[in-house]
Amino acid sequence: MERNPEQFWNPYLAGVALGLVLLASIVVMGVGLGASGASLRMGVAALGAVAPGVVESSPGLARAWNGGHPFDFWLSFEVLGVVLGGFLGAYTSGRLKAETLRGPTFPKGRRLLLALVGGIIMGAAARVTRGCTSGQALSGGALMSVGSWAFMFSVFAGGYATAWFVRKEWR
Amino acid sequence: MNPLPLWSLSGEARELGLVVGVLVGFGFGFVLERAGFGRAPKLAGQFYGTDMTVLKVMFGAIVTAMLGTVVLSGLGVIDLRAVADHATSSTFLWPMIVGGFALGVGFIVSGYCPGTSMVAMASGKWDGLMTVIGVIVGQVAWTGIEHFPAVARLQNASDLGHLYLYDLLHLPPKVGPAVVALAVAAMAIGAFLGAQKVEQLVRAKDGLPSNATPVSTTRMVFAGFAAFAVVGLATIAIPVGTAASARRVETITPMQLARRVLDQPWKVRVVDVRPMAACAAARVPGAECVPAADLGKLGLADANGVRELVVVGSAEMTAAPDGVKAYPGRVAVLDDGFPAWEAFALKAPEAPPPGASPEALETYRLRAGIASAMTGVKAAPPPPVPAGDAGAPRKKGGGGGCGG
Repeated sequence: MERNPEQFWNPYLAGVALGLVLLASIVVMGVGLGASGASLRMGVAALGAVAPGVVESSPGLARAWNGGHPFDFWLSFEVLGVVLGGFLGAYTSGRLKAETLRGPTFPKGRRLLLALVGGIIMGAAARVTRGCTSGQALSGGALMSVGSWAFMFSVFAGGYATAWFVRKEWR
Repeated sequence: MNPLPLWSLSGEARELGLVVGVLVGFGFGFVLERAGFGRAPKLAGQFYGTDMTVLKVMFGAIVTAMLGTVVLSGLGVIDLRAVADHATSSTFLWPMIVGGFALGVGFIVSGYCPGTSMVAMASGKWDGLMTVIGVIVGQVAWTGIEHFPAVARLQNASDLGHLYLYDLLHLPPKVGPAVVALAVAAMAIGAFLGAQKVEQLVRAKDGLPSNATPVSTTRMVFAGFAAFAVVGLATIAIPVGTAASARRVETITPMQLARRVLDQPWKVRVVDVRPMAACAAARVPGAECVPAADLGKLGLADANGVRELVVVGSAEMTAAPDGVKAYPGRVAVLDDGFPAWEAFALKAPEAPPPGASPEALETYRLRAGIASAMTGVKAAPPPPVPAGDAGAPRKKGGGGGCGG
């Protein structure tokens, strides 16, 4: 196969392909796609290993901690698949490369810091919304949940409202 | 009856279900990467109007899966509402609006969403790794403060339960989902055309080359959506479960009911036809209190009959009440009514000795689970299961399969 890092799938065909994966998950397993749920289990397991006292002092963390081993969890296996699929996709397209993606003039250190900060905001937000763009917007949206659609429009609103302030990061 | 979803994959055949999990995730990750979602600048382009791939892929996926579930539900392969109740979280309107806005801020700041950051990490991007770490830290930190009253109040505000777009329209249950899916498909095509216009305008202004997709592919996808939307509408005319009238009533034992209620609650609908006061005092977990005279108000004739309907009475019933005869799916009556259930479920069972047979352990697990659900008293956990025998109860993930 020709490897061209600049070559992406046609977005409409990619959408249909993603929809078929989602449909298969819903129809075969009765659950949608997810991403953030597995990170919580792993994070709590890691925190519990170094500071069990902290975990026990918070009912929410204790619940996740007692919910079971992070690898005894469907979403963890799904996320393992995401990583494998992402890796193979990047390898076969020539996009597998250790690098930091950012706008042409933006410093690398600040980009990594913002990536971390944005991740923290999303992690906290995903708890409030009971799911992220995969679990709420994609899966809940496809199943026509009212909350998921409210969530989806809100995500776009948040992105557009903030874009101007971080434009140097990307352009 | 309905072969799908394969609930056994999250129950008995759990290991196989985990393999399916890896496969589903693999498809998810691979498609995201090929769509360009492992690259933050491409994702961020959505918010500057230069590259609307996020909108195209997301809406394309939503419409595809939506039309697919509506058509399969119309054909009687799945029960859309039962599956959706299991796969989605309840609608917490304000938390979703406020949290969604915050998540959008995090999206443009980090350049990823939680799922795409994993793809970026897998393709070697340091910024992707940082976002993955950030998401873990943010989730753990927020979970750590969730019990504070102010946080809990925000998080649990405006709980509307499981609410779907077709509920808002007050259409007949069979018609609603298909109409909504058709409307969403039409809206998506409008959004696609609008997005292409915006992209070309912004790109021309910024001096970027055109990124127009070939017209033929675009037309093909749009025509596919339209065709499936029509099929979805056409399935409204298909009667589901027509063999219902010839069916005789089955009876089920408290043990069988306990197994269904505990392990596969989405497969049963329990209706308690005793007088309201008796039912309000004590009932089977998840049962609806509907005195026999009110059964007509449930609209059972219009339900799609995927779930088994279990009728609980005050004593033995030889025939199902008239009100449930119109139900298109399977109907069962609880043997000897609620008194039998009470005798079975309200006293905690004795723990079996270590090394008991798998059947004895299974019986204990069910009875202990039911007794604790009924009485609020937790029984001792069962003794360790012998090696090679996975008898552990299934764990249900959090609502959207994402929030954990």
